[in-house]
Amino acid sequence: MKRRTSKPRQFIKGIPIAVWMLALVVVPLMFTFLMSFYSSSGLMIDTTLTLENYRLFFTDPLYARILFKSIRLALVISVLSIAAAFPLAYMVSFKIRRGRNMLFMLCIIPLWVSYLVRIIAWRTILGNRGVINSALMAIGVIKEPLTFFLYNQFAIAITLTYICIPFVFIPVYTALEKIPRNLLDASSDLGANELRAFVNVVLPLGLPGLITGFIFSFIIALGDYIIPLQLGGTQGIMFGNLVWSQFGFAFNWPLGAALGFILFAIAVTILGLTSKFGTTEGGFLSE
Amino acid sequence: MSSKSRAAGGGRGTWLKIYGTLIFVFLYFPMIIVLLFSFSPTRTIVGLSGLTLKWYQELFQDTGLLTAFWHTVLVGLCAVAIATVFGTAGAFFVTRVEFPGKGVFRALVMLPFLLPGIIMGLTLLIFFRNLNVPLSMFTILMGHVSFTTPLVMFQVSSRLLRMGPTYRWAAMDLGANPVQTFWHVTLPMIRTALIGAGLLAFTVSFDEIVISYFLTGTWMTLPVYIYGMLRFGLSPKVYAISTIILLLSLVLITFMARYTGRSAETYRVRDRRGKRDAA
Amino acid sequence: MKPDNAIDLVGVTKKFDEVTAVREFSTEIKKGEFFSLLGPSGCGKTTTLRMIAGLEVPTEGRILLEGSDVSSTPAYRRNVNTVFQDYALFPHMSVRKNIYFPLKMKRISRSEAEPRIERVLRLVNMEGFANRLPQQLSGGQRQRIALARSLVNEPAALLLDEPLGALDFKLRVAMQKVLKDIQRNVGITFIYVTHDQSEAMTMSDRIAVMKDGLAHQIASPDEIYNNPATAFVASFIGDMNFVHGTVRDNDGKTCLLDVEGRKVTANRAVDLGKGAEALVCIRTERVQINPQRSVENRGSATLSRIVYRGTDYEATCRIGQSEIRAVVQAVAWPTELRLGDTVDVAWSAEDVIVFPREEEADVIKYSAEAV
Repeated sequence: MKRRTSKPRQFIKGIPIAVWMLALVVVPLMFTFLMSFYSSSGLMIDTTLTLENYRLFFTDPLYARILFKSIRLALVISVLSIAAAFPLAYMVSFKIRRGRNMLFMLCIIPLWVSYLVRIIAWRTILGNRGVINSALMAIGVIKEPLTFFLYNQFAIAITLTYICIPFVFIPVYTALEKIPRNLLDASSDLGANELRAFVNVVLPLGLPGLITGFIFSFIIALGDYIIPLQLGGTQGIMFGNLVWSQFGFAFNWPLGAALGFILFAIAVTILGLTSKFGTTEGGFLSE
Repeated sequence: MSSKSRAAGGGRGTWLKIYGTLIFVFLYFPMIIVLLFSFSPTRTIVGLSGLTLKWYQELFQDTGLLTAFWHTVLVGLCAVAIATVFGTAGAFFVTRVEFPGKGVFRALVMLPFLLPGIIMGLTLLIFFRNLNVPLSMFTILMGHVSFTTPLVMFQVSSRLLRMGPTYRWAAMDLGANPVQTFWHVTLPMIRTALIGAGLLAFTVSFDEIVISYFLTGTWMTLPVYIYGMLRFGLSPKVYAISTIILLLSLVLITFMARYTGRSAETYRVRDRRGKRDAA
Repeated sequence: MKPDNAIDLVGVTKKFDEVTAVREFSTEIKKGEFFSLLGPSGCGKTTTLRMIAGLEVPTEGRILLEGSDVSSTPAYRRNVNTVFQDYALFPHMSVRKNIYFPLKMKRISRSEAEPRIERVLRLVNMEGFANRLPQQLSGGQRQRIALARSLVNEPAALLLDEPLGALDFKLRVAMQKVLKDIQRNVGITFIYVTHDQSEAMTMSDRIAVMKDGLAHQIASPDEIYNNPATAFVASFIGDMNFVHGTVRDNDGKTCLLDVEGRKVTANRAVDLGKGAEALVCIRTERVQINPQRSVENRGSATLSRIVYRGTDYEATCRIGQSEIRAVVQAVAWPTELRLGDTVDVAWSAEDVIVFPREEEADVIKYSAEAV
């Protein structure tokens, strides 16, 4: 019994959140958008409006190449995350009877372990004096540490996948849990073996969760700059680094604003896809 | 589950469980490494040289680190306080008031939480620069408020929606005006959601590096400080502080599990539709 | 506007955007009356109740409570209380605190309130439960506490929104009696919303039968049963046969109709002209099979179906293209009858009710085709 539009007096409730939103979301975005049309000369910012930054992005192959590389890597990472998280979620949801809640919590815990700690962990494992190399050298398989583990796209991929797995796990698990078990009973009653039940019942119904998980993972991977900075080396420069450096040593804020805005546009479009094709409720905030 | 679906999953189940366990190990292996290394006197594989608490001792003597830790707690508490007020108000607004474009409004509020931190970081950085606000605790706090508020709003509005309007109607019907209804009925019923959301927000804020790194001047939070430490290579102190953070996270999660999740569901109205109760 | 009316509804209308949920509902509800709002889902009965409670504001019309206009008074200032469908007991409060709540809002101290709480608990037979939490109670117990909570304030009227809907059958029947007793004892006006016609019929002094926002008839159960105002009311209450007929003659007191080629007499004032198409209705329990005494409207029919229902038999009799169902008490059933037999069916002219054919669209059908 909801009315279409409520009485004006009720909008008072909305003032705090509206103020918050303006101050921390809308206005900063507007400023950023505006700055993307400025240019930088030395340490000063020239406020004459220009499309130079965007032109640079669209014409200079460097930017396109790096963006493309980042997108590709983000896709790979998302696929890997799903490959890891989906079977895990399926296992916990369908194959475990007792202690399911406990197991769910255990799968979520890595999410709350500090992001930075997880990066430190992987640097340790992959480094020249890291776990893998030390172990291999101790056994005697190799004499010199293998350098291809760290400071390249592989390191970024494995670390980001590690970060993303819990983010994929939650929406997938939520979606799988929502599948009424009696559907599977009915399908098996009608003669489907587990594979067919999986393809015809579980997969279609769990798809929104999968899509949501994939998209979350993709956005996280695409926008990350800290992991490429820490583990990417020179081979692993991603779009995130590129944006970050404009605010760091490259000191070209307008360009950074433009690149950031482009990233923003990409992210928002993709998030829009989630609400269309993925699960809206649940996400990774449900309990 | 019926016996049919159990039987159907028989053989395949084992392979799945093996794979699942492997993933599980993959998830926990790095953290165990960090744990082990924090007690190792050297930088190589532990077990060869025994255990030590040396690095933890060094930690407690590192004033920079201790200050950063304190800063992180401070920012966390303040951000949670602000986020709770704004987020709860927003939750009430969004669940009770109808207006066109509500979907867009909600999306805008959720943006700081959903977008990659780099975007929020740079937009806020530009924002503060334009307003000539120097980078300090304030800017970091604002950054944290930006992503904790949607979190609180989402949790509280979910709770409000699950609660339904009936209790409010009953309260008003029995003579409580809107303020009394809020204070005596609504607020106690969302209390657990508030606490849970607060804990969640604190945990997220505690660990935050991406946005904080953009907005930090000389006033640092712990993740930023640790990140700085990483520039000089992996000193074992890093493992020690990492382990401590690990343990803290676990403690916080345990608290959270108590307040969100199943225990909170005791307040849920048992769905009567289609259910017949006996005396 | 008389002072001994508990509630007056004057042309109350409620529109939600383009949808009219309640259409010009007017009635006077006396003090101490058990008044029911009956109808299928979506008929507007709950909306009407909510307007009386103050949880909705009428778009047009007025609502008076004991003579004063409360149409725009908010719910918390109206002296009526509601028992909600899901009871809405505050889960974070004990039973005692729940019941104390309305008194607390009136700033009545705990010491003053305590005897009133005890009294009302005794009324609903739940003494000793004061310290329990709602989660610890069964459905029926929660319902009684909700009732107690609404009564403790001694409101001018008690509004009940399908309070027995979640209870199983036997318990529901028992609770109907409890509610009726309480209403009688306390002498309070009850406004009761239900979709269960037998419930309304057993408990009410008067019933408003509603469909699509319109009250088709507001009258006593007896009147509604024997003199339904519209075909909808006739079909919603009790078990009614509907057949097509044409008006042959009408002198204002008796009406002659042609049904399947035979003459049917109705001893009723019928508002239809000669030649008009009509809907002819007879209650199933009024149809007699092979009656001993002479009855009007007698004719032969074929038994197309016989259903044994324990206390009675339901026999379907074919007359030409139409079917008339007869419900006969098991003790009176002619046991020699078999499927396909030709029987005499008859019914008294008093029992024939006639409606215009257009009203057939409103008739509630319970058949496989209708699903």
